[in-house]
Amino acid sequence: MFAISIMNGLVMGVIYALAALGVSLVVGIMNVVNFAHGELYILAGYFSYLFASALGVNFVLAMVMAVGLVFVLGLLIEYLLIRPTYGNDMYSLILTFILSIVLQNAYLLIFGPYPNKPPLWVSGATDVFGLFLYGNQRLAALAAGAAVIAVIFVIIKKTWFGRIIRAASQDREMAELNGVNTTRLNMLSFGLGCALAAAAGVILAPVFPVTPGAGVPVALTAFVVVVLGGMGSLWGCVVGGLTLGLVENLGAAFISSGYKNVFGFVILILVLLVRPAGLFGRAKV
Amino acid sequence: MMTGKKLVLASALILAGMCALPLGVGIYPQHVLITSLFYVMMASSWNLLAGYTGQVSFGHAAMAGIGAYTSGILAAKAGVNPWVGVAAGTVLASLLGLGLGTLCLKMGGIYLSLTTLAFSQILHIIIVNEYAVTRGTMGLQVPGLMDEYSKLAYYYIMLSAAVLILAILYGMIHSNLGLNFRAVQNDETAARSVGVRVLHVRVLAFTVASAMAGFAGGLYGHYLLLITPEIPSLDLQFYVLAMTVIGGMGSFIGPVVGAFALNILAEKIRDYGEYHVLVFGVIALVVARFAPNGLLGLWRRFRPAKQQ
Repeated sequence: MFAISIMNGLVMGVIYALAALGVSLVVGIMNVVNFAHGELYILAGYFSYLFASALGVNFVLAMVMAVGLVFVLGLLIEYLLIRPTYGNDMYSLILTFILSIVLQNAYLLIFGPYPNKPPLWVSGATDVFGLFLYGNQRLAALAAGAAVIAVIFVIIKKTWFGRIIRAASQDREMAELNGVNTTRLNMLSFGLGCALAAAAGVILAPVFPVTPGAGVPVALTAFVVVVLGGMGSLWGCVVGGLTLGLVENLGAAFISSGYKNVFGFVILILVLLVRPAGLFGRAKV
Repeated sequence: MMTGKKLVLASALILAGMCALPLGVGIYPQHVLITSLFYVMMASSWNLLAGYTGQVSFGHAAMAGIGAYTSGILAAKAGVNPWVGVAAGTVLASLLGLGLGTLCLKMGGIYLSLTTLAFSQILHIIIVNEYAVTRGTMGLQVPGLMDEYSKLAYYYIMLSAAVLILAILYGMIHSNLGLNFRAVQNDETAARSVGVRVLHVRVLAFTVASAMAGFAGGLYGHYLLLITPEIPSLDLQFYVLAMTVIGGMGSFIGPVVGAFALNILAEKIRDYGEYHVLVFGVIALVVARFAPNGLLGLWRRFRPAKQQ
């Protein structure tokens, strides 16, 4: 029970970290929280289901197409809804919240309330250290999630584009003075944030089928992870995501499974009480 | 801006009209009017946050749920008088507002939005899980405010409550405090530099708005006689938000107009199916994007110039 909860916690933690990275990136650069993050996660799940199950596309290609489409949609959302609100953070909160409700109801209308599931990548189960049998699909999800996070870290820490992102999230005006086109950077990073939600969605959809409302708890968890890790901090997302995944699953196993999502809220309140800037956050001046 | 005699006359006329409105209509229109008054209270108090102090709470419906469930549980399980229960629910909602506000607002508005969203989800989970106390999704049966059930009486109770809330809001907005609200919304740094205690002002607005939501929710629960997790839901939260945004955020009349318009429109759309949330979502998105001051702002901009 203990070992398998740890394993579940790791798998969920990696996905939480991935979803939170998308939120954190956008907060760091644009100071905008995308409340439709969870709905984009779900949308990618629906896309990969449509392409792979209904159209018979190869599942890897279907996932890439799903993430690509959500990325383009993210660019559009930034251009149409977020860009006109610069300088007024409140409106971006309201607009993305309305967008999340619109998307939820649109999914309900199009796909119905039933869970939809893209095909598994692998079947069977593996014996983990002789302790328990664990589904291969979940192990593959763990590996895929870790790989995407590694790619994001390389992009942000090693490439020129990553340097621009780090510069803009540290000091936006200074980056602008050095010739960074922050308008285009905003659009790209918002799209990238959405694509990260989509990546988490396509990786987890074969394990947890998508329903119209399933994005809300995922987005909330991602927000808690971002506050726990510190807004705008990438390492904070990884550490925070794994912490939350482990706490939730151990709590569900040993305290109460009905209250799985409540543990995250308890952590959120504790962080706000004890260390409001988060684990890796810069204290506000 | 109307002043003095004109304002009193207009208010008296509207009030007289509102008093006469439910007379001679059927039970169903009366029900729609009563729910509209609930939404007037919800949207107007949410407007105090988003429209006047620039903070977005996604937990307003949750606060109404706190009011409804506190009063409902006290009345159904302990036999407490519903009016005392409503008062208890109002106090609890204001305390929760004070706590959450103090915790989040020193870190900035985004934290309040995130935490109130989480709070409303958690409340939902707790209500569904604690079946023995709350009856979960089945709903909790609660006694009414009066021994004899009468829609007309409920209408006048809700009307008085709405007038009370609107009067308090009007008084606050047009006082010195209202100036502080506006100052905090427009430019926090400038407000602080002229001695406005930004954190106090924000927390106060959040506490007052939460108390009003708790009060409205408590009354509404005793009107419905069955309290379900639909009250503290994101759908109801969205509904309140859409009414305020479409009616006109930051104007006194906007949310009142929005609440009546959307609630009546929702009943019309229901004839064709459960599309009203989607329809309101699309309208709200367009209004928030292209007319941030809502329909009232549009009317102000395009009405024919007064001939002096």
